[in-house]
Amino acid sequence: MNAVVENGAVAVLEPVPIEKLKKTVSASRLNCWLQCRLKFYFRYVLKITKPKTAALHYGSVVHLVLQQWNMARWRKQPFDLTKLKQVFDAGWLEQGSPINWDGEEPEQKTSAWSVLEKYFTDTPIKANEMPEAVEVAVEADLGKHGLPVLIGVLDLVRAGGRIVDFKSAAKTPDNDMALHQNGVQLDCYSILYREGTGKREAGRELHHLIKTKVPKVIITEAGAMMEYQRNRLFRLMEDYVEGLDRENFVPAPGFGCMGCEYLGNCRKWEGGRH
Amino acid sequence: MLIIEANYSKKIGLPGYSSHQFSVSLKSELTDISQVEQESARLYRVLQQSVDSNIQQVGFLPGDPAKPNGNGHQNGNGNGQHKPQDDKWACSDKQRDLILKITDENKLDKAKVEQLALDRFGKGVKLLNKLEASGLIEELLEQNGQSKPRNQRFGQKAGAR
Repeated sequence: MNAVVENGAVAVLEPVPIEKLKKTVSASRLNCWLQCRLKFYFRYVLKITKPKTAALHYGSVVHLVLQQWNMARWRKQPFDLTKLKQVFDAGWLEQGSPINWDGEEPEQKTSAWSVLEKYFTDTPIKANEMPEAVEVAVEADLGKHGLPVLIGVLDLVRAGGRIVDFKSAAKTPDNDMALHQNGVQLDCYSILYREGTGKREAGRELHHLIKTKVPKVIITEAGAMMEYQRNRLFRLMEDYVEGLDRENFVPAPGFGCMGCEYLGNCRKWEGGRH
Repeated sequence: MLIIEANYSKKIGLPGYSSHQFSVSLKSELTDISQVEQESARLYRVLQQSVDSNIQQVGFLPGDPAKPNGNGHQNGNGNGQHKPQDDKWACSDKQRDLILKITDENKLDKAKVEQLALDRFGKGVKLLNKLEASGLIEELLEQNGQSKPRNQRFGQKAGAR
């Protein structure tokens, strides 16, 4: 495929057709759409990929190990910390393009394993609890509501229908704020679960692995999705579809720009139609 | 080592004074006596669902099952409800086709795929809901070295989610 490379960033020359983006939607896309539409344009329309950041790699490896831990329970294999450490070490080495660690890779690696060890000690999930689902791809056709097909991958569904999403974070979250900020994702997961099983979920949980000097684990619990939450999500999806129709890719300058990988691309934007 | 053994058997009446029965037994290892109650409940569920999903396939029946015999009597539920339901899957058509395709292309033993579904979900392949079918598909792909990374599960390239 043709591509241009500039400072490690890669852009596919042919943009993704808007019609194609309107057919499906995901929690990641909706969150990006809410955050900044110009960022959405760079990421999902132009498909400009950026070099992996240290934080992203940290989170990916933590997720990989948690996935293996969940899969092992699903397969009724005994808990084996040595095996999980091997998965961790191998995952850490797979960095793809060079990552800018600012000389802190050894500390970051130690921190990532420490927070996992802390999670395995503090997790509310018992060693013999059989998951209902691990890392499953699900889709929900929302055509009857005039909306796209919702797609997503559920990290974990605990026995009895409790949807779990794992988060690695640098700071201890405030419970209410965590639920507010992750609301779109949790509500998407509820819709996917209901579509996939024909049942209402028992609850939703955010399992935060906090990478402070002394690692912490914080569990934030939410009940099943309420009707008003579903309505909010549907309004957002409508905005997504209508905004794509209008090619409404305007920037949203704010605090989020500081960590945005597309800041350079944004500053070069001249306000023209795409 | 502790071993728990369970058996589930069911016999049902069929049209034309017929009946058929099916039973499944299995053994499971326990590491602790405290697991007996939970494992026993699980085995019962697994076995019952397995028998129920298979016993719907009635196979050969003497005479025409649509017509009751002379005196109009039918044994058991001889009202045509026991028609073979081979084509009924609880998951989506797309998932059904994919499971069949993976099984076919990798020359997998259908009995082993069925057993995998029973082990993981306590029910046969055809009874899996969409969420469970997705899990089974992932497991089959992984066992055959075809698993895709998380961001490519929907046939899209990385970043497209």
